[in-house]
Amino acid sequence: MSIDIFLNLTVRGLTTGAIYALVGMGIVLILQTTNVMNFAQGDTGMFITYLAFFMITTAKVPYSLVLILAIAAGAVVGLLVERFMMRSVRSRSHLSLIMLTLGLSLLFQGLAAFLFNTEPRLFPPLVSGDPIKIGPVILGRQDIVVLLAAIVTFGILYLFLYRTKQGAAARSISQDEYAARVLGIPTPSIYMLIWAIGSAMAGLAALLIVPRFSLEPSFMGLVQVKAFTAIVLGGMGSVFGAAVGGLIIGVVENLVAYQFPAIKDSFMLIVIVIVLLVLPQGLFGKGQQRRL
Amino acid sequence: MTSSGTRRLAVNGAIAALVLVLPLVFRTKSSIIGYLNIAMLYAIATQGLNLLMGFGGLVSLGHAAFMAIGGYTAAVLVMTYHVNMFLAVVAGVAGAGLFGLVIGFPSLRLSGFYLAVATMALGSSIADIIKRLAITGGDYGLINIPVLRLGGWELTSEISKYYFFVAILVVVFLVVRNFLNSRSGRAVRAVRDSEMTASAMGVNVAAYKLITFIFAACIAGLSGALYAFTISYLHPMNFGLSFSISLLSMSIIGGLGTIIGPILGALFWVMLPVVIGGKMEFLSTVIFGLSIIGSVMFLPKGLSELVTRIQTRLRL
Repeated sequence: MSIDIFLNLTVRGLTTGAIYALVGMGIVLILQTTNVMNFAQGDTGMFITYLAFFMITTAKVPYSLVLILAIAAGAVVGLLVERFMMRSVRSRSHLSLIMLTLGLSLLFQGLAAFLFNTEPRLFPPLVSGDPIKIGPVILGRQDIVVLLAAIVTFGILYLFLYRTKQGAAARSISQDEYAARVLGIPTPSIYMLIWAIGSAMAGLAALLIVPRFSLEPSFMGLVQVKAFTAIVLGGMGSVFGAAVGGLIIGVVENLVAYQFPAIKDSFMLIVIVIVLLVLPQGLFGKGQQRRL
Repeated sequence: MTSSGTRRLAVNGAIAALVLVLPLVFRTKSSIIGYLNIAMLYAIATQGLNLLMGFGGLVSLGHAAFMAIGGYTAAVLVMTYHVNMFLAVVAGVAGAGLFGLVIGFPSLRLSGFYLAVATMALGSSIADIIKRLAITGGDYGLINIPVLRLGGWELTSEISKYYFFVAILVVVFLVVRNFLNSRSGRAVRAVRDSEMTASAMGVNVAAYKLITFIFAACIAGLSGALYAFTISYLHPMNFGLSFSISLLSMSIIGGLGTIIGPILGALFWVMLPVVIGGKMEFLSTVIFGLSIIGSVMFLPKGLSELVTRIQTRLRL
């Protein structure tokens, strides 16, 4: 492998990894505060992307407005899910909560297939034009947008979690929900806020990454599996871990796909088994989480 | 015997009679019996999942992978190595159990979330692994798998398969029920309800989780092996993540932690699209999604809770 190819693969891997990071950060944000593993993250975004598609192609709404609406739609979905589904079963086992999100994901997939059929559609990118050449590295414009979006999202999440009162409340809930309630933290509204932010990220992520795939009811499936792999690698329960884990998975995946194409899609299983055997707390985990 | 006991016996007898007579009613419509056969195969796999989730409190998002391993192992042994069919089924079950050990061992010592992710990774990569192997027929799938043979009796007609599957289903259900009522079964349920209490009582939590997981994988392997010799065709894409989610949905809708739930769930899952009709197949996905949400929120024991409520209403 020449150094040019290596650089190209690595940088492109970073842009792929940014996709997993975007999805993974939303999942981890919800997971660490509300203790729900949201398997509907991908399909929430998928369904919103369908709505966005028709807004852009049929109703000719400007792209930037659609982007904002998609984020808002995600937030609304998150609010509704938390208020009308999660809240009433919170006291039950985490299995029930996982099952609810699986049901939600099936519902979105069924609705998308039923309303819009399963034919793959091409989704226009946010920015189009020739790929940009930086030294030996060639990058598509949309890929750069995704990478920047992941970085900006991470920055915003960091500021939210560490510089706002609500963020501190969310972090304290993830440490000890009972103590947080005793200290007067309004946990229901923090839960709703976190679900809104997390699901808003689902809308944003899906809309930004769909031009790399094609719009069909299953397009977020594999992305979500890899986002979960990234979360395990990053140490489940840290937004930073999910972001870095996503980037690493993206880079390794690209290099592996070039050198050993045969294990391209199964390597994440290998990654998970190795991580669980060697480094169960992940790269940035703080040991076993107590609340699970 | 009390009068309600007699009545219950009568109802159970009526159900058993219905099960046995049903294929004769649909004698001319073998497609319906075919659907029932598929539902029974799914019910077997789902019973394993029910054992795992409903009684063990563990989740598997890649259970179809164990079916695939069982099916492919059995089919390849018979087709390529001309192994005796019965031994091939046993090998398929063992192969699935072995994979259960490989996945379960690293993830079961951690929290349930890790098992969810590890099984999901297995479920989404199994199709790819099978596709890359030459012996499994790769991307073309395995075709012309021989039909199940018992002694000198070939199970070619749907009706003969039906009775065979009813027998297998009953055996699997009895084995699972007896396991749950045994010392190990009580330990498994104790682990589900509180790991801390269970371990304080001297239950080896990690070992029982692993046993449950391997057991569930073996049952899925059995279902997969029977599937291979029934459908006579295996394709890796049929065992992907979405089928794993389907199995999971069947067990949730049927009712987790109930012994008849898997049958109800599998029947609902297989029959609803048939009833709705081919053109509206995605409407059934919508209904499945809603059913899962409804089950978790309002009917934690799914369809079997519905059955129990009807039973109490009719005082059966």
